[in-house]
Amino acid sequence: MKKIIINTIFYFLLSGLVVSCQKDYGNLNGPTEENFLTNPTADNLNNLVTGTESGMRNNMGLYLDDVGTIGRENYRFSPSEPRYITDLLGADSSELTNSNFYIVNTWASRYRVVKNCNLLIEATPNAKLVSPTDKAGYIGFAQTIKAYQLLLCLNQTDTNGIRLDVANPNALGLLSFDDNALDSIQEILDLGKISLTGSTVSFPLSSGFSGLNDAAGLLQFNRALAARVDVYRKDWANALVDLGQSFYGLNNDLYEGIYSVFGTGSGDQVNPAFIPQKQTGEVRVANPSYAQDIIPGDDRISKATLRPNATSQGLNSDRDVWVYTSNTAPMPIIRNEELILIYAEANIQLNNFSEAVTALNKIRSEHNLPDYSGALTQPALINEMLYERRYSLFFEGHRWVDVRRYHLLNTLPLDRPGDNVWGEFPLPVSEPANP
Amino acid sequence: MRKFKFITAFLICIACIPFVSKAQVKPVTGTVLDGKNHPVSGVSVLIVGQPQGTITDEAGKFKLNVPENSTLVFSYAGYRNQTLKWNGSSDLKIDLIEDIARLDEVVVTGLSTSIKRRNLANSVVTLNATQLNGVAPSQTFDQALNGKIIGANINANTGSPGGGLSVKFRGVTSVYGNTQPLYVLDGVFVDNTSTSAGLNFVTGAAAGGSLVSTQDNPSGRISDINAEDIANIEILKGASAAAIYGSRAAGGVVIITTKRGRVGKTQVTFSQDLGMIQVSKLLGVRQFTAATAASLARGDTATGAKFALMFTNAQSKGEIYDYEKEIYGNTGFARNTLVSVSGGNDRTTFYLSAGTKDEAGIVKNTGYRNTSLRFNVDHHISDNVKIGISTNYLNTSANRGLQGNDNTGVTLGIALSSTPDFVQLHPDANGVYPNNPFAASNPLQTLALMQNHEGVNRFISGLGLEAVFQRSEKSVTKFVAGGGFDFYSLQTNVLFPGTLQFQNVNNGTSIQGSTNNLNINAILSLVNSYTVSRNLILTSSAGFTQEDGNYNNILNAATHLIAGQSNIDQAGALTGTQFRTQFQNQGIYIQEEASIIDAVTATVGVRFDRSTNNGDATKFYTYPKAGLSWNLTHSGLMDPNGLFSNFQLRAAYGEANNTPAYGSKFTSMAVSNIGGYTGAIIGLQKGNPDIEPERQSEFEAGTDFSLFAGKLNFTLTYYKKNIYNFLMLVNPPASAGYTSQWFNAGDLQNQGVEMSVNARPVTTSNFVWNTTFNFWLNRSKVTRLTTPSTPQGSFGYVLGSYQIQQGQSATQLLGLDGQNGVAKLGDAEPIFQMNTYNELTFQNKWSLRFLLHWKNGGQNVNLTALQNDFGQTSANFDQLIINPQTQQPMPQGVYRITQVGYSAQQFVENSGYLKLREIGLYYSFSTSANSVIKALQLGVSMTNFFVWTKYSSYDPEVSNFGTGFNTNIDVDPYPATKRADFHISVTF
Repeated sequence: MKKIIINTIFYFLLSGLVVSCQKDYGNLNGPTEENFLTNPTADNLNNLVTGTESGMRNNMGLYLDDVGTIGRENYRFSPSEPRYITDLLGADSSELTNSNFYIVNTWASRYRVVKNCNLLIEATPNAKLVSPTDKAGYIGFAQTIKAYQLLLCLNQTDTNGIRLDVANPNALGLLSFDDNALDSIQEILDLGKISLTGSTVSFPLSSGFSGLNDAAGLLQFNRALAARVDVYRKDWANALVDLGQSFYGLNNDLYEGIYSVFGTGSGDQVNPAFIPQKQTGEVRVANPSYAQDIIPGDDRISKATLRPNATSQGLNSDRDVWVYTSNTAPMPIIRNEELILIYAEANIQLNNFSEAVTALNKIRSEHNLPDYSGALTQPALINEMLYERRYSLFFEGHRWVDVRRYHLLNTLPLDRPGDNVWGEFPLPVSEPANP
Repeated sequence: MRKFKFITAFLICIACIPFVSKAQVKPVTGTVLDGKNHPVSGVSVLIVGQPQGTITDEAGKFKLNVPENSTLVFSYAGYRNQTLKWNGSSDLKIDLIEDIARLDEVVVTGLSTSIKRRNLANSVVTLNATQLNGVAPSQTFDQALNGKIIGANINANTGSPGGGLSVKFRGVTSVYGNTQPLYVLDGVFVDNTSTSAGLNFVTGAAAGGSLVSTQDNPSGRISDINAEDIANIEILKGASAAAIYGSRAAGGVVIITTKRGRVGKTQVTFSQDLGMIQVSKLLGVRQFTAATAASLARGDTATGAKFALMFTNAQSKGEIYDYEKEIYGNTGFARNTLVSVSGGNDRTTFYLSAGTKDEAGIVKNTGYRNTSLRFNVDHHISDNVKIGISTNYLNTSANRGLQGNDNTGVTLGIALSSTPDFVQLHPDANGVYPNNPFAASNPLQTLALMQNHEGVNRFISGLGLEAVFQRSEKSVTKFVAGGGFDFYSLQTNVLFPGTLQFQNVNNGTSIQGSTNNLNINAILSLVNSYTVSRNLILTSSAGFTQEDGNYNNILNAATHLIAGQSNIDQAGALTGTQFRTQFQNQGIYIQEEASIIDAVTATVGVRFDRSTNNGDATKFYTYPKAGLSWNLTHSGLMDPNGLFSNFQLRAAYGEANNTPAYGSKFTSMAVSNIGGYTGAIIGLQKGNPDIEPERQSEFEAGTDFSLFAGKLNFTLTYYKKNIYNFLMLVNPPASAGYTSQWFNAGDLQNQGVEMSVNARPVTTSNFVWNTTFNFWLNRSKVTRLTTPSTPQGSFGYVLGSYQIQQGQSATQLLGLDGQNGVAKLGDAEPIFQMNTYNELTFQNKWSLRFLLHWKNGGQNVNLTALQNDFGQTSANFDQLIINPQTQQPMPQGVYRITQVGYSAQQFVENSGYLKLREIGLYYSFSTSANSVIKALQLGVSMTNFFVWTKYSSYDPEVSNFGTGFNTNIDVDPYPATKRADFHISVTF
């Protein structure tokens, strides 16, 4: 009997030894969020920066088609996807529905980048071997990109609002609307400016940031975006201030700025908005009003090249959209031509007409047009500025937003009886409304 | 470090074995006969309370030194145990009685304990070697289980050589988690993973451009095991029986025991099967005319004229082909050889077997090969210590063909679906295949040139040790250790040469996959059996277990190949993925069994279990179990000589869990590069660090009773299985940054009944008929759902989809129902299933055995017919049907296409069937005791030859998405097969 007891105790003591240690295998198949939040290295943070820059391109072809179609810049004919010309143009009884790809996919891609930016903002303070100025650089970059992504979402959903506080997925903030949303976006840009001022940039950026990839350059990028948000908020004075701190230059190249670049390397992407000219099947054609309303001699007609007539469901066009001319053509995020136009717009609204005309004439001369000779009144100059914006920034995602903020949606052409011009997209179906 | 501790513990425990002193003994001899005066060899003769024992020889004789006043127990599988109080005589004669109801059969109930069936609290299904593959051979082990297990819903995913079956006990155990049982082979927990070969890279079945998808039709690793080596299988169907197995037992446990050696002269058995495999059913093709050929152009008159001309030219040259028959009409030749050697003496027995199988498929260049070597040894180191080793080497090679869903038109079924009978696909005199103008691929060219090969090298080795280190009159204590490892290396080789029609962009694709997997498990237990009194025996057991798994899969896809090459460096572009998993489960268990007056058995046990797959890897979860069995006739309450020769009531309860899918607690980052820099962006799936395992609790109650001295036996069982916190992938708000997230989303319930009747209606000296009827049904219900309910697992409401909804069956199929919008159109769960297994023996020479299986009801989502309609090649496309809306006749195919988007009724189709799964006729030659040949048996068998079903596709058993929750979706599978075999088996 004694032997049994001894054996039993012996045995359980031994088993206790073996069982006491327990492993926890991490994720073997890739880094996890936690890997980046705990003691990240500079390389980890650089990966996040690159991932953010790369992720900005996801679903941008769809975004441009979304805002371009409603803004009557282009039609997108696709045999496998008829909703580009039914739902987006409001044909007959078609409506924009909240579960469809045209809002669900773009919104998801933008918020994915916002999440990545929030991760970078949260991770950077935990990086032990990164200098404080470098840390400020990372955070400033993240704030700037985050604001830009939220702005693209707001462009689509407008009065339906966006969600700003999404850092904690288990405690998402409330929806924010209209001017509140714009003001909050401006605040995020301001936080970015504060971080970037006096910071250092030690992370790699693609060639889309060439010339502006240091702290000073990123600060100019930040202020350029702020200038855009200012005009959306109708804050004309600050728009001029912010332009002054950006890379705006009346005599600089129109195409100087920040771009998303594309490539065919491993894991990279090609330009999703590129379609070769004169295709059949998948086609992107310019709205006929583009050629009808252009001033003869304006060289921006080259953005809509002639092609055999394409037709689908009662729509016709004989011009291809030819803005992105190869599958590795870059896509602008913000460039000098827009900044010049912002300068003009702000000055018009502040009644500085001569300054505005100087800027407008710069644009006109770059595009083979004579100087402006119309009336020097605010309404006339606004019309002229909107014309220049329409043609200079064709298929870069601006027309619908401009027309909407000037309450001119009802001036957009209706191509077929029964079509509608929408003012905004619904929120994606997975987004809960504010309680 | 861990292994060192194990070995130390092991050796120290052995060292503590004391010895037992002997008492006065006398030599005794005896003979054991069966009821018909034949001697029985191999009968175990044991002395109660003593370590000594022996086995009877071929003449049924034994010799043993028996102490005074001892009791002898005679036991042998298939016969009732006999107890004899030794009266002092030196020559005994024992007559064994057949155990028709198998009441004395010993069944495993714990990790180291077993119990007689008549005292069992659960309904445990056992299959012996004859039932498993004694009727007809199966290509793989999992196919051998099909239709034979009461309470199981077994569905063959595909007819592809090499297997792939889904085995679900008592309904679905999980939605996203593991639905398959744990397989234990001689104490080794074997791996049953399905590894994709990367076919999605070419087929594009799952959009997104990834290398792998759930639609790649892989086989499961359990199919490697050789069914011919198996002696018996025990199946624990739910937590009430399997709780003691812990983390992986939620879907049940299948305990496989292979053949061991037998005492006596060494026997060599040679058996050979030769067979033919053919397609079970063909759907037929549309007979075209010039007019219908022109209609293939869908209104374009110029192209239509071209097609009509193609048809008339082909017709005049006699070149109208039935391509379905050409592709699936190959007769595959199958051969299966097994040599086994079995022998030993009363201290050591061994079993050695070598088998090879080579079976061609019904599609050219497909087939399956399996080579197996097994060596099992059992040895008594001393009277108290017993050791057993099982080692197995397996080498399998399967060419699986290219079938199933795709978005590129390259699988054989999809290419066929749009290819009419008048196009020329055969190669010309130079061996050059023409392009197929009606599809993206030429299926004859594809099957001739492509390769989809799975090759496995596998070692499964198990060790068992039983050491009695304390023995007295009242108590026996032993140490039981078991465990082993399962290692395999799986190579998948997929090659699509550049000359193929659909490789004009990629110029040749080679996808090479390499997987290594190692599973190790060990169980160390102490078992004590304490006889309190004649009426109470307590068996206590306690122990701990550990399982480790390590899986590493590397998959590389190379395109732009150098002509004729398949190495991934002989290519212009290369993309790869790697997937690894690692886990460790640890558990401690305690179990107490009380046997009261040998008629009431009460069991109570608990297991503490933790796993690295859980959100909290260090937390122990508790899984209790309890069971009660009351044998009324054995306890004296009912007279065993009365109406009921056996009457037993039983009830059992147990809890088990299902660990979360690997990686569900992590939020992984994804790769996103720009400008040559490597970027990390948040992944789309949010992990849940607090993820809990899915928990199962099962209650089971039943009764077994026998009439007519065991000639008629009934078993009735009712069960209720609750699954708590099942996992779901849910869409969070997009502003969170993710598109899916794991949640423990709700509760699920399965209830059902199982009834079994076993009878021996005729037992004469010339004719014996043994028959079993089984009936079983299961109903599932989602009892709680905290996340939004969305369609999932299929292709949406337009075609018919699964959807988890509170209050509804878990396997319901919803779809568009015309005016009614979305409605429930069916359920994948059958209404009930029945099977019958019969053995008729004439004059002890002829034996006719057959298995009939009836699945009543249950629906599939049949999209094969839709593919053929879209491609306008369905056999009945032109037959006229009256359109109910317009009351006008129109071709059936056209009508069915108009219904797409209005009603999914035509896709959700009843898939009930009656299958004569196996039938075999065997003749055993009688041999004299002195001849060299001890046994000679010839036989013929047929498998799947008779299938009665209204289902309109190839076979009602199908799953496009493989093994898992969403089986029964039919998209152009590899067709099911039937086979006929001739057998010969000789024992020397």
